[in-house]
Amino acid sequence: MILLESHNTIIKNVLTERFVKPSKIDVQFVDYDNVRFHLSTPTSKTVLVLSMGIHCWSDLKKYGAPEILEREFGEWVSNDPNLKEQDYDVTLVLDLEKIPEEGDDRDALIDHFSMLKPIILSAPFHRAYNEHSQLASKHKSTFQPGMADQAPEERGELMIIHYREEEAIYVQAANDRVTIVISTLFTDETDRVFGKVFLQEFVDARRRSSAIGTAPQVMYTTRDPPLEVRNAPGIAGVKRSEDVGWITFVLFPRHFATPEIASDTTFKLELFRDYLHYHIKASKTYMHSRMRARVASFQQILNRAKPEVIQDERKTATGRTFRSR
Amino acid sequence: MDPTSRPAVVIDNGTGYTKMGFAGNVEPCFITPTAVAVNESFSDQTRATAKGNWLAQHSAGVMADLDFLIGEEALARSRSSSTYSLSYPIRNGQVDNWDTMEKFWQQCIFNYLRCDPEDHYFLLTESPLTPPETREYTGEIMFETFNVPGLYIAVQPVLALAAGYTTTKCEMTGVVVDVGDGATHIVPVADGYVIGNSISSIPLTGKDVTQFIQQLMKERGEHIPPEESFDVARRAKEMYCYTCSDIVKEFNKHDREPSKYIKRLTGIKPKTGAPYTCDIGYERFLGPEIFFHPEIYNNDFTTPLQDVIDKCIQSSPIDTRRALYKNIVLSGGSTMFKDFHRRLQRDLKKIVDVRVRASNARLGGDAKAQPVEVNVVSHPIQRYAVWFGGSVLASTAEFYEACHTKAEYEEYGASICRSNPVFKGMY
Repeated sequence: MILLESHNTIIKNVLTERFVKPSKIDVQFVDYDNVRFHLSTPTSKTVLVLSMGIHCWSDLKKYGAPEILEREFGEWVSNDPNLKEQDYDVTLVLDLEKIPEEGDDRDALIDHFSMLKPIILSAPFHRAYNEHSQLASKHKSTFQPGMADQAPEERGELMIIHYREEEAIYVQAANDRVTIVISTLFTDETDRVFGKVFLQEFVDARRRSSAIGTAPQVMYTTRDPPLEVRNAPGIAGVKRSEDVGWITFVLFPRHFATPEIASDTTFKLELFRDYLHYHIKASKTYMHSRMRARVASFQQILNRAKPEVIQDERKTATGRTFRSR
Repeated sequence: MDPTSRPAVVIDNGTGYTKMGFAGNVEPCFITPTAVAVNESFSDQTRATAKGNWLAQHSAGVMADLDFLIGEEALARSRSSSTYSLSYPIRNGQVDNWDTMEKFWQQCIFNYLRCDPEDHYFLLTESPLTPPETREYTGEIMFETFNVPGLYIAVQPVLALAAGYTTTKCEMTGVVVDVGDGATHIVPVADGYVIGNSISSIPLTGKDVTQFIQQLMKERGEHIPPEESFDVARRAKEMYCYTCSDIVKEFNKHDREPSKYIKRLTGIKPKTGAPYTCDIGYERFLGPEIFFHPEIYNNDFTTPLQDVIDKCIQSSPIDTRRALYKNIVLSGGSTMFKDFHRRLQRDLKKIVDVRVRASNARLGGDAKAQPVEVNVVSHPIQRYAVWFGGSVLASTAEFYEACHTKAEYEEYGASICRSNPVFKGMY
């Protein structure tokens, strides 16, 4: 498992199981970045209620998450105030009597539900992609092809999603690109060093290999926020120290040309921070196993160096032996 | 948000299966085999090119840290591909291979539970006979690699007792009979404290049951491909085994109505893809019988489980014995056989009654001993009782105070994990 998967494994497992055999359930679990889930059957065995609490719901609401929710999960969203749970933001109700027959349709539905969080979180990204196409067409119509190079670039609204405390995703569309800045905080000294090496590698890899030349451009800075977000509201309050890392992705139109590519890009970007931290932990694990292997080999060498105990008997001239007491 | 406001992560690593989930739930989110499939080709490659090709070594290193699988996926992959070798990080209840254990935890946290370890408190479990060094090492990995904000390493039997705590009564005194896949322990606990010097463990575990069944089936000549035979025996054990009250009667029953008692298992040969079937007969009740009559399995260890439990209680402080007999709690997957608790209770009661009668006879009619109540408790969550106890414990507010925190770790080092308060005065 080299990549982190976007879907939530617990939702997938539970739904797969309960769709076949409905029974009572009440579980609470989490997902990355302060997302809480509650899956329960409050009224009857065949009515599953899936609630999601998401830290940045107030931000997402501004950037079109309710519309996405309506579009993707419209028929499942509950308007029943009795089922709507306190301190959760989204509540979906699944009536097990209405689900499709066993087969591909059902699997697709399960996959769709397990993608609840990434789909909701993709709202601002899709908004930026749309904004980009508007800006681009406007730009094209106002400026002649020859002049376009000197033309001032147009930028859309800077969207800020505070997906964790002290960490945020900034999304901004422009007429020729979409810029995404992800800030991350390293709580641990070692993690910071690993993160720095890893991200630097990320930047350099593009330069070294032509195979990934079409990947989005990545830039990495620590301490000071990059120029794109330097004027963002509230940026003055963000901590400025070596612990803060800023990763900038520049997406060109080819990265969100079709809806499939667009959602793929989005889901990967959403998980980037977690993937980074996952990778840091994995590298540490790997280093530890190398260290253990090295220690074991050193120990072998040390054991070999132990002097042998000489056990030969010494005799006197008359053939008697000494005995040490 | 503060880590203490999020649910704690509870992981119970057993020899056979790992139970993991979030505190406050009734059942674990995942029950998965404790197995890791590691791609060996990378480690060989790095050795071969230790001095030479830097780039090859580098890219191997980049991949090797993530190229492994755990749980069911590991089992499936190691069967289908020869580049992955399977390793079981825990042996007989103790961590055997720290490399794979660390990998296992990493995968559990990131790919199964999907949470950032920096955001959650953790509750791990250990068997009662774990040396303090192992606890230290566990703490080191959790704090150093995963940067967890807080960690509590709980003792399995205490958690198993705590599991019964909420459902029926507030009893923290009892004997826990923990029969897992790799280790069997009998642990007396008084008021939440483990009576350390009375812990006994016996060399009969779930794995022995499986091996015994495998042996019986082989001797009868069932047609099972040799590489599958252990797996078939395990499936037979998990699906069809039960405890009988009398072996002789049970044999007669089987002989009279074979069609009713003999079960059938089917499978597919991994090499040729051809299907096969095999019958499960006497081993259905003979498997679990090894706990009550170990001499049918091997000659090295012949003390039945009920005798060991009785001896264990007799070696405990005299004022706790009555309470201990009253609350014998079963935990672990290998106590799940049907009627296991009834059989154990009956056999134990027999031993106790004989002793009470003898003492009454010795005293004559002057003083009569009060009858001793023997009660073996069984509940439906027995298979993951330890996990459930952990979940209950970790959802209380006191849990966060009992945890070792990262700040403490940085101040004092791994030695904070060395002692566990439930072993009062032991270390």
